[in-house]
Amino acid sequence: MATAVERGSTAGTEQRAPARKENRFTFAGRMMAPALIVLALLSIFPFIYIVLMSLSRVGLIGGIDLHWAGLDNWSRLFSDESVGAAWVRSIVYFVLTVGLEMVLGIGIALLVHSLVWGKNLVLSLVLMPMFMAPAIVGLLGRFLTDSTYGLYAWVLRETGLYTGDILGSTTSAFIAVTLMDVWEWTPLIALIVLAGLSSLPKPVIEASRVDGATYWQRLRHIVLPMIAGVVIVALLVRSMDAIRYFDIIYNTTNGGPADATKIVPIRLYETAFRFFDLGYAAAIGLSMLAVSILLANLFMRTLRKRGLAK
Amino acid sequence: MAGAGGAALWLGGCGSSNSAKPVAGDEWKQFGGTTLNFISENTAPTSAIAANLKPFTELTGIEIKIVQLELAALVQKVALDFASGVGSYQIVYADPYQVLAPYHEALVDLNEMMQDPELPKLDDVGDFIPTQLDAAGRFVDKDKLYALPYDAPTMIWQYRKDLFEKHGDRIKQDLGFDPTPSDSSTWEQFYKTSKWFKDNAKDDVSYGHGHQAKQHDSLMNDFSNVLWAYGGDYFEDGDTVGRLGSSDPGEPILDSDEAIEAADFYRRLVSIAHPGSLGWDWDGLGAAFSAGQMAMAVNWHEFAAGNEESKVKGKVGYARLPRGPKRSANMYGGTGLGINATASERDQKAAYLFLNWATSKKTQLANLESDVGGGTPTRDSVYKLPEVEKAKEPPSKMPNILTADAVFEAWKPENIGLRPKIAAWNECDTAIFTQLSKMLAGQQGAEQCMSNTKDGFMQAIDNAAALRSA
Amino acid sequence: MNGGRIGGKVLLAVVLLWTIVPLLWMLMSSLKPQEDITSTTPVLAFTPTLEHYKALFSGGNSIGSYAVNSILAAGISTLIAVGLGTLAGYGLARSNFRGKDHVAFWIISTRMAPIAAAVLPLFVIFRATHLLGTTWGLIVAYLSFNLPFAIWIMNAFFADLPPSLEEAALVDGASRWTAFRKIALPLVLPGVATTAILCLVFSWNDYAFASTFSGPDSQTLPIAASQLVTQTEIDWGQLTAIGTIVVAPMIVIGLIVRRWLVTGLTLGAVTGE
Repeated sequence: MATAVERGSTAGTEQRAPARKENRFTFAGRMMAPALIVLALLSIFPFIYIVLMSLSRVGLIGGIDLHWAGLDNWSRLFSDESVGAAWVRSIVYFVLTVGLEMVLGIGIALLVHSLVWGKNLVLSLVLMPMFMAPAIVGLLGRFLTDSTYGLYAWVLRETGLYTGDILGSTTSAFIAVTLMDVWEWTPLIALIVLAGLSSLPKPVIEASRVDGATYWQRLRHIVLPMIAGVVIVALLVRSMDAIRYFDIIYNTTNGGPADATKIVPIRLYETAFRFFDLGYAAAIGLSMLAVSILLANLFMRTLRKRGLAK
Repeated sequence: MAGAGGAALWLGGCGSSNSAKPVAGDEWKQFGGTTLNFISENTAPTSAIAANLKPFTELTGIEIKIVQLELAALVQKVALDFASGVGSYQIVYADPYQVLAPYHEALVDLNEMMQDPELPKLDDVGDFIPTQLDAAGRFVDKDKLYALPYDAPTMIWQYRKDLFEKHGDRIKQDLGFDPTPSDSSTWEQFYKTSKWFKDNAKDDVSYGHGHQAKQHDSLMNDFSNVLWAYGGDYFEDGDTVGRLGSSDPGEPILDSDEAIEAADFYRRLVSIAHPGSLGWDWDGLGAAFSAGQMAMAVNWHEFAAGNEESKVKGKVGYARLPRGPKRSANMYGGTGLGINATASERDQKAAYLFLNWATSKKTQLANLESDVGGGTPTRDSVYKLPEVEKAKEPPSKMPNILTADAVFEAWKPENIGLRPKIAAWNECDTAIFTQLSKMLAGQQGAEQCMSNTKDGFMQAIDNAAALRSA
Repeated sequence: MNGGRIGGKVLLAVVLLWTIVPLLWMLMSSLKPQEDITSTTPVLAFTPTLEHYKALFSGGNSIGSYAVNSILAAGISTLIAVGLGTLAGYGLARSNFRGKDHVAFWIISTRMAPIAAAVLPLFVIFRATHLLGTTWGLIVAYLSFNLPFAIWIMNAFFADLPPSLEEAALVDGASRWTAFRKIALPLVLPGVATTAILCLVFSWNDYAFASTFSGPDSQTLPIAASQLVTQTEIDWGQLTAIGTIVVAPMIVIGLIVRRWLVTGLTLGAVTGE
């Protein structure tokens, strides 16, 4: 990806050709049109519909019926303890999974980047988990932690580290689903950060090495700041999905035990397709969207501040 | 109408149970060329039918496409299908609690079909086990029939006969009663027996028993047996609310003394069970029991098929569940097949042919014998067939029939366990199994648990009522 | 320095173990005879068997058709997303209108919608357009998350490209389209590869949309996997076999493209000096 040097030259060029602005816009407009039209069709109507649903009571028998209910669903949303608790859990889950994925992803990227031989092989191996379907990761995790024939359960039992049922008690279940998510998505972060590391200008790094800086000093003061933009992009990409994905939890604990893993997307699915309370589900869904947008905004602003936004 | 005579005619070719039905006339072929979609849970009879659809297609010329899904996914698709008015799935596996209760209006009243002179006659409707016909087929209205009983898993007591023989005398001495399951066995005795196994039989089994106590429907199923046994119930007049269903069940009575006592006993019972219990739903418990990890299990009778293919083959006994102060209650989990009322009239009639065939005696017998799936017949006459009677004793070609005596006991009106059939059930179900899970995790006591559950129920009923009001 | 190197190697070994063991176990289990899968002590030495794979391809529910549906839905959706997304990404990167940031943000925000909430309105659209239960319906549904993703990534890659090269071509009399096709596009092929592979992976692995919008004729592989969770058991043998079948093509494609990626990126770093 771009370096600070490149970005400077881009800024200069754009100011040099104001006369072409009109043509440019129409051409650019035509390039964007097909995609944006499709996107608009797939997002604007649904969005309006979801907003309407959140303001209605939705009946399903004999066709979808929207009966106006004003702010009922919304006032219910803000006074619902169970949804509040689900948000707390979602936040904890989000911070733990994304946090671990970022730290481990950067670490692995650094590790792979520093390899002299076998880099390709190691990279290939390290990337594999991200290619798995989240639903199947959940099922595989269930297989590995099953108390009767799970490999990991057996290892933990034999070494005396943990003898209970992994998915059967609140803390261990939460940790287990967190680790399953971390296992699957750390490679994605590692890939993005590695791409950033690979495009670092070698002369700068070499110079600092000659200057006698230690590895950690180089890391902190040179490498990390230079890949900060890439790191934030990785964070953004992962965060957008981390808030909504629930395949792993759905296929392992489905919110239990004792609601320990009941994060908001699970509550949403349950409200929509188990209780068929679609109006309330729409409200929950919109609140999730709002949080995602706030978060994305935060990241974009940080990117812009560092002059790295595209 | 294919009673004893038809059965005898047909039994002549015992091995070829999959040959076409010897009924004369064109009524079966009138919808030839149609394609129908059948949406079902991943259950044994559907697997068996899916493995061999040829008989039906030869008989009728109708092609059937089968979609098998996990129950939650099925509920979602069925609801959306009803709402869409498209009628993509003409034949619906109508779970009485999650599909029939909330959506009975979207299912065809089969009485009309049964009275239609142009459609093939159903095998004797009275042949269906009466409690099942009501539970799986009706909702509130005794005169309307929305589904034909298709499968009938029921929770019963499964125990290691060999271990009971080996240790029975010592247990009798130590505990003062005969632990072998009988009509007089109680839950307290079950508890003591399990504890005894855990403490004294480590060489044979690690634990006395296990539960399906994951935060899941299965926990509600498991607890209900104890709830009813101790005299508690979900609503007043639980018999009607459970058997026929109700649009207005009244206030839940889960905070009664009996219910609280049941919850407390259940908590104690789970505390001495195999620790994996808290992570098992319908699947894990059976696997652990088959792997020989416990002496007893309260589990669905269809798991007998799995038992007989595992290391505990031939060693498992089956009985009605223990009784509590009030009675012995055995949770019924059967389901019927219904017809989607949003489908075209022609498709509905074609679907009726499939319902007829799929729940007929011949097909139910074929399912029992199929390599795939074990089958849980819903017709009385099937159980009376000679080869089925023979299969009651091991070694059995139809392992599920080893449980026949136990389940017939379980299906008697005084023993059957029927949970409420109400439109709000899904949310109520979630309320109870969540609160129970919290109790089992040690976060609350029995009284708090039941009180919270009752609140959850009332909230759920209000929500459901609000959704239905125009 | 030596301590660091040994520490690094240990770390690497741990990372590799953590990453590979589940996948290896999945592969091994798919080849184990049934008793070895469900044995209470993990079995490391066993006689491999193809029975689970054979079972998947036989019977009333052969996964052959599921695989075809998966390939069609994921493949076609990816092609459309990458195609339209590359065009739009270029347009966005090379434009500078008021509200550009808002448009860019809107594009990304469409991918943030929680699936369970978006399902019903999409369901209504699909019903009206007769896309329910069809493979094309899935293709369109996948576009809802592939397209924004493709636009965004391609936009990032194009924005990184100094316009000077294209400007030079324009001065020489080339049309904007030629400048795009002959100059900008070849330079962002690694980006196209990244986008394509990620779109493919997300579509191939999707369960939520497939479960809602697919019909008997358009079910995909993840659905087949969930169907192995039956009322009485989870067939781990077949499940691990499906898991292997589902992940294998993605890994193969990902690894092929990965080499392209690394070459392209290294090249980019060199020309950036």
